[in-house]
Amino acid sequence: MNGMRSWIARRLLLGAVQTAAVVLLVFALTEALPGDAAVAFAGDQPDPQRIAAVREAMGLDRPAHERLADWVLGLLHGDFGTSLTSGRPVAGFLADGFGPTLLLAAVTVLLLVPVGVGLGVLAARHEGRFTDRLISSATLGVYAVPEFALGALLVSVFALRLGWFPPTAVGYGTGLLAHPAVLVLPVLVLLARPVCSLARLVRAGMIEALAAPYTAHAERYGIPGARVRYAHALPNALAPATQQLARTVDWLLCGVIVVEALYVIPGLGTVLMNAVADRDIPVVQGLAVVFGLATVVLNLGADLVTHRLAPRSGVAA
Amino acid sequence: MKPPMEQPMNENPVLASVTALTVEVDGRALVDRVSLRIRPGTVTALVGASGSGKTTTGLALLGEYPAGARVTGEVTVHGTRIGYVPQHPAAVLNPARRTGALLHDMARRQVRDLPRPQRRTAARQRVTEALADAQLDASAGVLGRYPHQLSGGQQQRVVLAQALLLGARVIVADEPTTGQDALTKRRIVDQLAAVAARGIAVLLLSHDLDVVRELADEVLVMRGGRVVEQGPAHRILDGPTHPWTKELLAEPRTLPYADPGRTGEELLTVDGLTARHRTAGRRAPVLNVDRLTLRRGECLAVVGRSGSGKTTLARCLAGLHRDHTGQILLDGTALPRSLRDRSREQLAAVQYVFQDARAAFDEHRPVLDQVARTAVRLRGAGHREATEEARRTLTDLGLDDALVRRAPGGLSGGELQRAALARALLARPRVLVCDEITSGLDPVTRRSLLDLLATLIRRPGGPGVVLITHDLDTAAPATRLAVLDGGHIVEQGTREQILTAPRHPFTAALLAASRRWGAAVRP
Repeated sequence: MNGMRSWIARRLLLGAVQTAAVVLLVFALTEALPGDAAVAFAGDQPDPQRIAAVREAMGLDRPAHERLADWVLGLLHGDFGTSLTSGRPVAGFLADGFGPTLLLAAVTVLLLVPVGVGLGVLAARHEGRFTDRLISSATLGVYAVPEFALGALLVSVFALRLGWFPPTAVGYGTGLLAHPAVLVLPVLVLLARPVCSLARLVRAGMIEALAAPYTAHAERYGIPGARVRYAHALPNALAPATQQLARTVDWLLCGVIVVEALYVIPGLGTVLMNAVADRDIPVVQGLAVVFGLATVVLNLGADLVTHRLAPRSGVAA
Repeated sequence: MKPPMEQPMNENPVLASVTALTVEVDGRALVDRVSLRIRPGTVTALVGASGSGKTTTGLALLGEYPAGARVTGEVTVHGTRIGYVPQHPAAVLNPARRTGALLHDMARRQVRDLPRPQRRTAARQRVTEALADAQLDASAGVLGRYPHQLSGGQQQRVVLAQALLLGARVIVADEPTTGQDALTKRRIVDQLAAVAARGIAVLLLSHDLDVVRELADEVLVMRGGRVVEQGPAHRILDGPTHPWTKELLAEPRTLPYADPGRTGEELLTVDGLTARHRTAGRRAPVLNVDRLTLRRGECLAVVGRSGSGKTTLARCLAGLHRDHTGQILLDGTALPRSLRDRSREQLAAVQYVFQDARAAFDEHRPVLDQVARTAVRLRGAGHREATEEARRTLTDLGLDDALVRRAPGGLSGGELQRAALARALLARPRVLVCDEITSGLDPVTRRSLLDLLATLIRRPGGPGVVLITHDLDTAAPATRLAVLDGGHIVEQGTREQILTAPRHPFTAALLAASRRWGAAVRP
């Protein structure tokens, strides 16, 4: 277990380095972009004198390394800086956007895991037969439909034609939980492709696990079918699925721009889109830090779970 | 367990019986009209070469048949469950669950009638008892570990404990000792004897005749799915009547592999070698060899238990393990440590034959092409010329043209190992490193392969052979023996000296473990 602890420590250290690298890269890339916030701020009549004034007011005329140092120091105190366009603290922006995104992600994952795993196990149990062919072809078909197409389709059918759900979240503010009907369509769109990839991964792993000698051995010794499937075979099938799940959660947390834009949900994706459009560098940088951290933590978690499920596989760190 | 005196078998009730069982797959009979009876406390041995139908018969007792099999005949089991101990216990232990998972699941089903609060304790009690019966200590934390964290012996005991917890009165043990060294074999035999002494019947599927001799009450000799001879163990083993049984029982080779008169100068010398392995980030030394030499025209056997460093030594010689200090000299010239730094001539000079011949061939290409490739790669021969030479060599080794045009899947284990030898020979090697090339083969196949090896050594210009083995019978006909234990050569000398006057206690223990069951270790 000592080896495990040092592995986690190494992974956390590596995660910190990765996050720092993300921070630096984001800063360097935004520096490399032509134009800056002052140019964007000046709008359609770029008056060089006005731009220079704005630059001075924002401190953009200082050398890059000084601004980077300031920003990083602020980060360490939890200060993400100030938005250039609105003058509000970036932390506030992030907090506002985080709520809806987290809610969408949580609801999606809560449905994704049982549905994806359930479909995968069901297909594996009936390998090659009708149920399997149905699930396999349906998941392949749905996976091929991009989010924006599926989202538009669902809106036109269920919101505009049938009127069952509101088409967008406009007018509900950030209190989405109080209006579950708003969430149905976006969650369906978010679920569609991850359910398919998860189900297909679980199916493949499960077929292998069900054919393994240890599964035959458990059946031979009288363990009931459901227990054999879920307690003995499934853990072997979950290792690759866990990695896929971590990527999915990462994708959800980093703001699914298409879905948020389509349903006008004020989540992190919307914040990111607006910030990029406005060249609001501090907000973009703040988002990059948050997304980087989320990715690092989620993958560490997934590796831990994988290590638990497939203890023989050495996990590189 | 052998009864001390001849007991009339009829007093013993029959626990399970197989009557005129025939199992066919695609019109080919895997098992052909086999009948047997199993009685409490007895060991029934099914003996035969690989592919003779032993495992199919054993699994039939468990009600398991190959996919798409047509089954006729009858299998009757009288009021008992049947346990199964497979050849590789690790295969039936779930790699993603702790060792105790299946045991606890089984025990929980057995205590369902108890009041709820008592179930947990009762289940745990049963598991502990079953482990104790299988000579495992539950308090040692075995249950909380994953299968890969257990030793091979512990894995086997856990699988046995599962069968005992099941309450099985019949246990099918499939090749329990194949590929094991003498001391491990000893332990497994004692364990099966203890199981039989508890009144449990054992169906032993094995081609290991030493084990059969020691354990079996009743022997059935199988060939091609049929029982060719059956009867009490002593009658079959001491006075076989069927020619196949006689061939199976023939003594292992004792005639020296190499011609003692033709031993030449030093060919390969290992000098001051220390090899290391990386484990958990540390580089631990696993092998120390001060000096070891192979002379022209001789066969040097390296004997030791699994984990003693035999294979590491072989891999160092072949340049497959480069993390070592010291020197390996071929004809007085040091060989580079890594395969990649050796010249084509050096690569050709030291050839390696692997234990698992099936894994050593690409399963999709014909054997002939793969054998011929050696001559192309290592001697720069043309394709046509190489194929012709490969065909000649393979025919010389007893593999005809039609056979070697098949993919490896179409050849038996023994045939593939011959092909692997042919592939090495096409390099015209000076030194042939044979790593456990006979383990897992039945006695008849093993003997013919070793005879073939002797023929190769005795040819003019034939290679010197380093024979890596855990089996003393296989090592005994070598010119000289080196005994490896815990990464050190504890003793080396001529076969006469090692086999008759061992100096080191470990060599003596190895000899004793072999002799106890009457193995033919004779100088």
